[in-house]
This record gives sequence, structure tokens and C-alpha cells, in this order.
Amino acid sequence: MAEPIVELRNITKRFPGIVANDNVTLDIKKGEIFALLGENGAGKSTLMSILFGMYEPDEGQIFVRGKEVHLTSSKDAAALNIGMVHQHFKLVSNYTITENIVLGDEPLKRFGPFSWVDLKGASEKIRALSLEYGLEVNPNDKIQDLQVSTQQRVEILKMLYRDAEILIFDEPTSVLTPQEIEYLLDIMEELRRGGKTIILITHKLEEIKRVADRCGILLRGKLVGIYDVATTTTQRMANLMVGKEVDFSVDKPDHEFGEVVLDVSNVTVYNDLKVKVVDDVSLEVRKGEILAIAGVSGNGQVDIADAIAGLQNISEGSITLNGEEISNLSIKERIAKGISYIPEDRQKEGLVMDLNLRDNLAIKTFDREPFSKKGVLQPNAFEDQAVDLIDRYDIRSGQGSQTITRSMSGGNQQKAIIAREVELDSDLLIFVQPTRGLDVGAIANIHQQILDQRALGKAILLVSLELDEVMALADTISVVFRGQILKTDDARNLSKEEVGQYMMGVTK
Amino acid sequence: MKKVSNRVKSSLSGLLVPFISIVLTLIVASIIVLLLGKNPIEVFLGFLRGSGMALKPRYGGGQGMLTDFFSYLSILTPMIFASLGVMLGMRAGLFNIGVAGQMLLPGFLASVIVGYSDLPSYLAWPLIIIIGLVVGGALGALIGFFKHRFNIHEVVTSIMLNYIISYITGFFINTYFADTVTRNSRPVKEASRLLIAGQTGGGIRFDFPVGLIVALIAVFLMRFLLERMTVGFRINAVGLNKYCARYAGINVGGNVVLAMAMSGTLAGLAGVTYYLGFANNMVPKVLVSLGYDSIAVAVLGNVAPVGCLFASILVTIFQKGSIYMSSNVGVPQDIASVITGILLMFSASGQYIEETLQRLGRASRSKRGSKTDPDQAKA
Repeated sequence: MAEPIVELRNITKRFPGIVANDNVTLDIKKGEIFALLGENGAGKSTLMSILFGMYEPDEGQIFVRGKEVHLTSSKDAAALNIGMVHQHFKLVSNYTITENIVLGDEPLKRFGPFSWVDLKGASEKIRALSLEYGLEVNPNDKIQDLQVSTQQRVEILKMLYRDAEILIFDEPTSVLTPQEIEYLLDIMEELRRGGKTIILITHKLEEIKRVADRCGILLRGKLVGIYDVATTTTQRMANLMVGKEVDFSVDKPDHEFGEVVLDVSNVTVYNDLKVKVVDDVSLEVRKGEILAIAGVSGNGQVDIADAIAGLQNISEGSITLNGEEISNLSIKERIAKGISYIPEDRQKEGLVMDLNLRDNLAIKTFDREPFSKKGVLQPNAFEDQAVDLIDRYDIRSGQGSQTITRSMSGGNQQKAIIAREVELDSDLLIFVQPTRGLDVGAIANIHQQILDQRALGKAILLVSLELDEVMALADTISVVFRGQILKTDDARNLSKEEVGQYMMGVTK
Repeated sequence: MKKVSNRVKSSLSGLLVPFISIVLTLIVASIIVLLLGKNPIEVFLGFLRGSGMALKPRYGGGQGMLTDFFSYLSILTPMIFASLGVMLGMRAGLFNIGVAGQMLLPGFLASVIVGYSDLPSYLAWPLIIIIGLVVGGALGALIGFFKHRFNIHEVVTSIMLNYIISYITGFFINTYFADTVTRNSRPVKEASRLLIAGQTGGGIRFDFPVGLIVALIAVFLMRFLLERMTVGFRINAVGLNKYCARYAGINVGGNVVLAMAMSGTLAGLAGVTYYLGFANNMVPKVLVSLGYDSIAVAVLGNVAPVGCLFASILVTIFQKGSIYMSSNVGVPQDIASVITGILLMFSASGQYIEETLQRLGRASRSKRGSKTDPDQAKA
């Protein structure tokens, strides 16, 4: 096969308290799709950021096309035709697609002493590129009007526009719906046919199985090995990734449900734009029951959860908790009555990213004893709780309770939120997309947490876009479509296919 | 082991970076002064002499370095209050650009109500402080309320209020309180100035600013409030991420109003200590530049209470010393603002300086050939 286009030799990168990459050596061949697999915090993104010039390795060498290179900025990487699509897009939202793509490398037209940006020519080039690789976009649309998947296409076009040969994708599918993922994987294959080399950072095994040629597995910063995807089973990759045998099935004993904890009846919610997002929804969650709301993203499921937690007002209907009307209570009062809420967006809503772990773990309880007395905070209580929770929930962080949460990996951020919410000891726990973007190990851990809470007799409302998750955990499934509940039934009476059909709005 | 060395390193760089910023500022300022054809050492000495931190060659009768130093302290006092006010707003994610107006109205009311009365000091002082607290706080709360209730940005409201206050007080000063000669407002009575006047030390006369004590208390009160109190925890959370704050059950709007009210309170104290203690009169329709300089000082002080104290001390040297320096060395007074600006620029580049230091540190380490530091490799 082709000669290696990128070689990484003995790369080591340390951050305070953590070795992100430990003596990693791997080579990537021209024209292949190379997957980099590993748990959250395994060092995948760091390794690729080194190749992209965003970090300098503490030790080791990088060879590109056989020549040793020293990358000190992403400009150096771009000069070597290396491009990267980041997990969080780097786009200016009020600029058009063309403007975003040319930004920093604007084609100029000159007339005497005057020069201006040749947007028209750029648009043509972008249109041509988008046709060549099946990346449909309208170059004159503004980013703010685009869906996430289209924005991602813009990022890909940005690399292609700059003649990138080596394309790095950092967790590209974590923000996409299943159909969009399919589409993206097709694009990757198209790019490979076009002679590009692709490095795919992911922890989703199906994607690797579907498109990748080879797969390098990282575990806690070390390279476990490089495997041929065609001859390695998904189960084996999963095992190598977490370093121990993983059990995908969950152990969920049948038990009797207790009395009704949450009773939502005929609730209607309008969002800020006065659009009806929840339409006459009723549901009941009993003690020890997991009620899962299944549905395609954007059908009002998050609004239902927000309405229960008090983040959105309801215009009609009632919400009772343990028989008590709560729809007029403040968020704080609802927390005190016994609602724990794991929000969809853990970085925007779930955590204050610039505060340390210790403060984040107490962000709902800081004004109660023992965390404060007469308005004065008690740092010892904060510290004791943090040490305890870090230990019991296996939250990994560079500097313990003092770690700024921004520097923690996504999985550990989520563990911190779950630790905080479970510790509130509420009667009702709302989980919204609790495992989004997390790896197999973290997912199993969180599923176990949810089941433990079920065994303790808590009422659990689970909102998830992952059908497998819904099927594995739910006692009762409600399918939501355009703000309405189309179907509610015992999970044992519903097959995965039936739920999928209801999610598409098909009623029999 | 590793942790300890890290902490030591970070606290060292916490002092080292500001120190480097200051040294760089002095170097750049020296170059500018040299370009003007003057001696930088003379200029800096001039600032220190004007602020009572170095001996002047000559003093008038009964005056000395101590006189200048206490005069410096009396302008330092409002600077500390004002920068604390800006700082507190920033902690809650608010930009209080209206400190000057929030100084003027309490200063005006305190002058009119107390300053022209015959109240003795022991009654006048507490009354003046209360007026500063209440009027400044009310103005701040109003700005916060507009933001919370009608979603009007605090910058808009506070700039508008600056104009309104400036013109209305200007009208009253011109109409009722103007001095016939200067056209400024009449100076406030001695007893109501926040000064313990006529102290002598070694035969040298000086006035002790009472407000300074309150200002120092305020610095540590703010520090305690922000670091150790639930109120401060809420304000920090709202300022860093209002979405998460709301989700966690914190009343975001209420805390915006509260933070803005406290910011205004501090600005009000800056106002009364400035107008009744330093200036002792008001120029109609003029907002003091100190109100705006305090924004730079708060940023320079790393948006932290104790930082504000040190930044105030430093910047005030340039502001206060500039008059003496200018008349003796012949460099225009405006150089003080230029230096403050450069200082702000370098301190805003703190992150860059820190990273450069780290890069230099790494380079020198690898030059020494020690490829693996065993202590680090293990961690």
C-alpha cells in the first residue's frame, strides 16, 4: 500500500497533573481513513492538536511526507496541507459561507492602488468544490441561518478550499442526527476516493466499522495498538478501548412501581418566539419507574423537561410533584421540593466552566448548611463534599477539587453533574441526553447510575435521542412528535422498530 | 509534591507577570520621554515627588513631603472606591461605565445638604457617608433594574444617566450654588470635609483623609464578600455563566440589580470622598476623569479587590504626581494618561507574557540537555 504520509514518533505531551500522550508512535498512510479511538480524555484530541500545530509536544518527532517538521501554529499545519474540523466549529455566525471560508486567506482583486476581496470568484470555487464532493451548500447563506450539519460541511469546505490533503475530523458526529451521520460518512468515503487522507477521531464504534481502514486505539494517553478494522470485531475494539471487558446489556430487575411522583397533565408551552413547542402533553412517572421520552431532536422533549424544572413557563396545564402543584414555584423552590435535573447542554447549563470542580459540585446547595452558615461559605464543607464525590463517582481531574471544570474531559464533566444531582437525593431525576458524546465506559457507568436510582425507588424521566438507550433503560416509553405525545406504553410492548416509526410521526 | 511545586510556581508568576508589565511600561514610557528630549529619571522622580514619595528640592512654609503624601492619599481614596465599584460590576458580568455620574450626584447632594450646613464633623461625616451609600446605591439599582426588567443594556443606561446628572447638577450649581468669582460651586465648609485637617508631624502640616480608612475596610469587605459569602458566590456564578446560574436556582435578575446597586454604592462613596475631601467644590457640567480611569484600574487590578487597591496606588502616583512633574520637568501632564494606557496595555497582555515566560523556561531547560525531568515524568 501507499507510503506513510504522517508519522508520529514517541510523542509525549504533559499537562499539569496529567500525561495526555505517553510515547505514542503511529503512522498514517496516504489515502486511508484512519480512525483514532479512545475514551473521553484518552488523549485523542491532544494528539491531533499536536499534528495540527496547536500544541507542541514535550518529546517526540513528527514527520510529514517523510520530512521532519516542527509545528508551532495551525498556520504551519495548513502550509503542509493539514486541515482540521474541530468539535466546536470555528465560524463567524453573521458572515456568509464564502466569507467564512476565505477568512484569513482572502483572494484579492486589484485595480491600481485599490484592492478588494474577490468574493464572487471565491463563491464559484466553493460551489465547484461542493459539487465535486457532494457537499451541498449555498455559498451566500449566513452561518447563523444554517443547521449544525451544514455548518460542519462549511468547515469541511474550508479545508478543501485551502487544498488540505490530510483532513482531521474531531468527533464529527457528536452533534449530528443519525441521517446526518450517514451523510457525513458518505462524504468521507467520497473524500477518500478523491485521494485525501482522513483521520477520524471518534469513540463510536459503528462509524469506524463503517468507513475506517485502520484504527489506532488510545487508552489513558498510551497507544494500545493499531488494528485492521475489517478483521477486528466491534466488541474487541470496545474492550481494547476501555481496557476491560464491557457489558453492553444492562441488568434491570422487574419490580413494582410505587405511587405517582410526577404528574404532568395537559401542559402546553410556548417558547421565546411564541411558537408552541409542547402541545397538550400529559405523563406520569411513578416511584421506581424510568419513563423515557423518545423522539427525534427538536420535537419538544427538552422543553417538557425545562418546563418541569421551571426553566420554561407553561401556558396551560398543571405539573404536580408528590401531589403538590409546582408549576408556579421558582426554580430554586422546585429544586428544594425534590427535582434533580441533568441538562442537555452540560457546558452551557450544567456547569460554570470557569469555576473549579469543588464550587460546581455545590452550585445548587452552597446556600444551605453545611456549605454556608449565616451567609458565610464554609470552604471545608465544599472540600469534604468534593473529595467524597470525586472518589465515589470516579471523577478524574488534573488537580482534584481545585480543577477548573473547563479543563476536564466531557465524560468527567458529566460525571460531576450526575454526582451533584444524585446527591441532592431528589424524588424525581430528569436526565436529558445523559450520555451524549460520551464513550462506552462512561455510558455504562451512567446507565448504572440511572438504574441504581431506579432501584432506590426514585422516579426517573429520561429524555434521549438514542433509541438503543431508551430501549435498554425504559420501563415506560412515551414517543414525542412535534410537541405531542403520540404513544405511551409499557416498554415491553414496544419494539425498537415501532418506536422508530412513532418517532417519524407514523401512527397506525 | 507535584502539586506544591505547581502552586508555588503559579503564585510566583502571579507576582512576576504584573512586575514585568510595570517594568515594560516604564521602559516604553522612558523611550517616549527621551523622544520628547527630557530625562526619564527626572520625570519619574517628578511623579514621586508630586505624590509625596520623594523629597522635593524646596517646600513652602509648614509644608513637606508628608503634606504631599497625605494629599496623594486623599485622591487615592476615591480611586479605590471607584475601581472597587467597577470591579464588582464586572464580577457580575456588568460594565458600569457610569461611575463618574454615580459619583457626581451623591457628591452634589452631600455638598448641598451637608456641605453648606453648619453641622459639626461628628454629625456631618456619617451623614455624608450615608448619602454616598444611599444615592449611589439607588442609581446603581436603577441601572440594574432597567437591565433586568426591560433588558436595556447597562452601558446605555449609565451613559445616559451620566449626561442627565451632569446637566441637572450643572443647572443647580450655576443657578444657586455658584461662587461669584470662579463660577464653580462654592467650596464646602471645612467641618464637612472628610479630612482630619491641620495635623502636624515634625512641624509639617497635613490633612488626614478619613475616607481612606473606610476605603481600606471596603477592600477587605469586598474580598470577603466575593470569596467567602453566598452573595459573592451568586454574583460570581451569574457573571461567569448566567444560564447555569439560572438552572441552579439562582435569581439572575435579582443578582444583577444587587450587584449594580453595590457597584453604585461604591461609586457613591468615591463621589463623596472626592467632592468632600479632595476637590471640595464642583465644576458645573464636568464629570471627573477619575470615574473613567477607574475602569482601567479595575482591569489592571485583575478584577479583584486587593488588585484594585494596588492598581489604584500605582495609577494614582502618575495622576497625582503629574502636575508637579509637568511644571518642574516640562513634560506635558497628559503623559500620565499615556503611561496609564501603556500600563493597561501591558497588563492586558499578561497571558502573553506568561506564555512567553513558559516558552523561554522550556527552551532553557531543553538547552541544558535534561530531556526527562524525573519528577515530571512520573506525574
